[in-house]
Amino acid sequence: MAGDRIFGAVMIVVALGYILSATTIQVPLFPDPVGPKTFPFMIGGGVIVCALYMMFRPDPEADWPPLRSLLSLVIATIVMIGYTYTLKPLGFLIPTALAAGILSYQLSPRPVAAILTGVGLAVGLFVLFRYGLDLGLQPFPRGWL
Amino acid sequence: MDLLSNLALGFSIALSPFTLMLAVIGCFLGTIIGALPGLGPSNGVAILIPITFSLGFDATSALVLMTSVYYGAMYGGRISSILLNIPGDEPALMTTLDGYPMAKQGKAGDALVISGVASFVGAFLATIALMLLAPYIARLAYKFGPAEYFALYLLAFSTLGGMASNNQAKAAMASLIGLGLAMIGQGQSGTPRFVHGNLHLMDGIDFLVAIVGLFAVSEVFVFLESHGKESSIGVKLEKVTVPVKELAATFWTMIRGSIIGFVAGVLPGAGASLGSFMAYMAEKSYIGEKGNFGKGDPRGVAAPEAGNNAAAGGALVPMLTLGVPGSGTTAVLLALLMTLNITPGPTLFTDRPEVVWGLIATLLIANFVLLAMNVPMVKIFVRILMVPPAILLPGVTMISFVGIYSLSGSSFDLLLMILFGIMGWLFRKMDIPTVPIILGILLGGSMEDNLRRAMTLSGGDPLYLFSSPIAVVLWVMAILGFVAPIFLRRYLRKPPAVTD
Amino acid sequence: MKKHIKGFGLGAFFAFAMGTSALATECIAPANPGGGWDFTCRQIGKILFDIKQVDAPVQVTNMSGGGGGLAYAHVVNERGSDPDLIVAASSATTTRLAQNAFAGMTADQVRFVGAIGADPGVIVVAKDSPFQSLNDMVEAIKADPGSVAFAGGSAAGGFDHLKVLQVLKAAGFDDIRSVKYIGVDGGADAVTQTVGGFTQGMTGDMSEIVGFLKSGEVRALAVLTEDRVPGFEDIPTAREQGLDVVAVNWRGLYVPKDITDDQFKAWAEKLQAVADSAEWKEAMAANGLAPFTKVGDDFQNWVNGVVAQTVELSKEIGVLQ
Repeated sequence: MAGDRIFGAVMIVVALGYILSATTIQVPLFPDPVGPKTFPFMIGGGVIVCALYMMFRPDPEADWPPLRSLLSLVIATIVMIGYTYTLKPLGFLIPTALAAGILSYQLSPRPVAAILTGVGLAVGLFVLFRYGLDLGLQPFPRGWL
Repeated sequence: MDLLSNLALGFSIALSPFTLMLAVIGCFLGTIIGALPGLGPSNGVAILIPITFSLGFDATSALVLMTSVYYGAMYGGRISSILLNIPGDEPALMTTLDGYPMAKQGKAGDALVISGVASFVGAFLATIALMLLAPYIARLAYKFGPAEYFALYLLAFSTLGGMASNNQAKAAMASLIGLGLAMIGQGQSGTPRFVHGNLHLMDGIDFLVAIVGLFAVSEVFVFLESHGKESSIGVKLEKVTVPVKELAATFWTMIRGSIIGFVAGVLPGAGASLGSFMAYMAEKSYIGEKGNFGKGDPRGVAAPEAGNNAAAGGALVPMLTLGVPGSGTTAVLLALLMTLNITPGPTLFTDRPEVVWGLIATLLIANFVLLAMNVPMVKIFVRILMVPPAILLPGVTMISFVGIYSLSGSSFDLLLMILFGIMGWLFRKMDIPTVPIILGILLGGSMEDNLRRAMTLSGGDPLYLFSSPIAVVLWVMAILGFVAPIFLRRYLRKPPAVTD
Repeated sequence: MKKHIKGFGLGAFFAFAMGTSALATECIAPANPGGGWDFTCRQIGKILFDIKQVDAPVQVTNMSGGGGGLAYAHVVNERGSDPDLIVAASSATTTRLAQNAFAGMTADQVRFVGAIGADPGVIVVAKDSPFQSLNDMVEAIKADPGSVAFAGGSAAGGFDHLKVLQVLKAAGFDDIRSVKYIGVDGGADAVTQTVGGFTQGMTGDMSEIVGFLKSGEVRALAVLTEDRVPGFEDIPTAREQGLDVVAVNWRGLYVPKDITDDQFKAWAEKLQAVADSAEWKEAMAANGLAPFTKVGDDFQNWVNGVVAQTVELSKEIGVLQ
């Protein structure tokens, strides 16, 4: 109920922003009767119609997770973003072991198993990608080896 | 007899121990590449191109290895679709719809065997058709101009109305979101759109990033939140046997899927994804309300797998005979051919028979290798579901990251993937289907491009869209495909459920 | 479909995998393995080492994205004075730079060191087309601009589109905004649209039409080079037909802007040596490239001219403000 209504409202704002952004698309001067704006306008309009429908005929409320589960999702997201930014400077092994270890701990809170999973996955995947598929992954921060 | 002597030439090349070994290695690597999320046939082939250069392969060997990888990846994509609801690559998208419900019911083994056999049927029939008909059906491409392509994409979108969804507004919203994302970047039309000075967006949003985000990354979120209640992991598996009854029951499904997939593959620009999509939707409307589609119908894995493998074979037709890539992977193969000093085109079959027929013979052999490799290995594949989630899911996540990172080496794509992951989780909670998003991204740009091309050529005359028999037939099918499910639903509808 | 064809390179994997030791030359191919830029790097890199112009094998790095823009940004921002770096480039690079498709970066932020081969531009019709010469076609367009539509492998406003407009301008036809062009997925697709009769002309590169020329399904009305192309002597140049247009898809290199003039000259000389080698001549023949050698300041000046001309045309058809 509320979920669908909030989502509908957000999508209307997104669609309006999309349409607004589409008005600034440069139109070429050579023959192109449909032009680059027609589709974006139609899509934006369609999204608004669907969003209004969702707001006025919402489904039964989804089963939202309690705050604690939500927190673990936030942590997982942060871990992934952190992984994204450390992959290049720190090489493959260390960030992968850390990220995989934390995710593993979140799924099953046993520290030793999580550490083993992290290290095992980092090494295993490194071997698979580097030697199996010949992707040139760098194992450690540059300059270590 | 020309064909026989040509085939003999082909097999004399393909049956050398070295070539056979390459085919086996290629099939094996391909299956793995296909199954890994983020690595699909196109980047699988691209990965191996530098290796063939550095090993100094001749044209035939390089081509044999690459096409084995290509076919292998088409087989392999289904594995993660069925087991984990994560399409290994985009043509395996439709296989999630019924394959994953089957896995949740403990029938992962059946789903894998049926889809493996369906892959074989599709690829085998397509290879035979390629062999017998390639020069003739290549001419089909000359009959498809912008108006015809537009009608074809319209047909694809019209059948979306029949997709399983409890709420049509949400399904429509999902496909519109996909279409909206497809507009980003500098397409064929010249003017960059929604780029806002970001170079990463110039080429548009890569559908692989969207797939891996929406399916693989979101899976981790869903699992974290529900503690595995909604997952196939750890489900008690039925014993893996050869499901003779289901195989017999889906035989005609496989044949139908193969034909549709092959035709979609032959048309440049349509490709394997459209092939599996159309095969699935056609089968669904053919079976009608008697089917159990979306909830684990074996025909729902047989049709798209036959379709996408047949499309892979079909896509080789325009590639070899016209030099037109029919899909992302054939575009890479085409580049490889050019580098090997082979010019695909109308004269390739007469100029370089050893290449063409060596390739066809290899494809036939690779098919049997893959069938022999894939069906017995089902027992090993299903064990994946026995891996504890605390190891499996971090593994899947890390593979997704490496797979996407290998596309461009940009952190931007990874962040986008995480964003799609959050979106996928949210949408699944809200019962908004995610498959239409991918289809919108995959097909939306081409649909728009073709409409714009058609209108440019006709000077804005809408009648041009119906100016050929092919276009008219496709339009009629599109309208029927859109209207029929609505009427069917109206007549067969159960008493409306109370929603408020 | 276009997005399929984009980025499945292993880009920076190879980049940060192998690193760059101080001595080895690095060649960045701003695309995936298998494409034209990749070919440029691999061939030139191999020959540079084989003819002992460099001491160690040249390291090829694939860095796809943004139509070459990501690699360009990398060179401009992070490698601006690296003397051991060369980057594959072609007409697409300069066209995109001229049309501001690299997010504000401009052609003067690197130095174009040389081109050593080119894929000649061609204007092609189906075999049963009424046009027998380029002038027949031009006259038909002058009489009714809407009667002839072109298909090409580049996006609308891209290099293939501009080729046609240049020809028409040379013929004294100024209403180039009325010319119909559709961009499709590559040159071969453009040929099938033309053979299928959906468009009346195809504009592209020689390598894209070779197979169809041989099978007789298309005729080339003109090749846009200074002289006729070896191996295709029966195709007249546009020049011979009184339309002075040279438009070739050159294959060459750029280098970072802040290297010294001596280093720039050294690269120009090395490139000249590659161009003169028997190995390169063989590679060109195998890939349908015609000779086209311009190196050093000579090339830089030529590029400047091309960019200026592209800017002018692009403004006229509204793809650039």
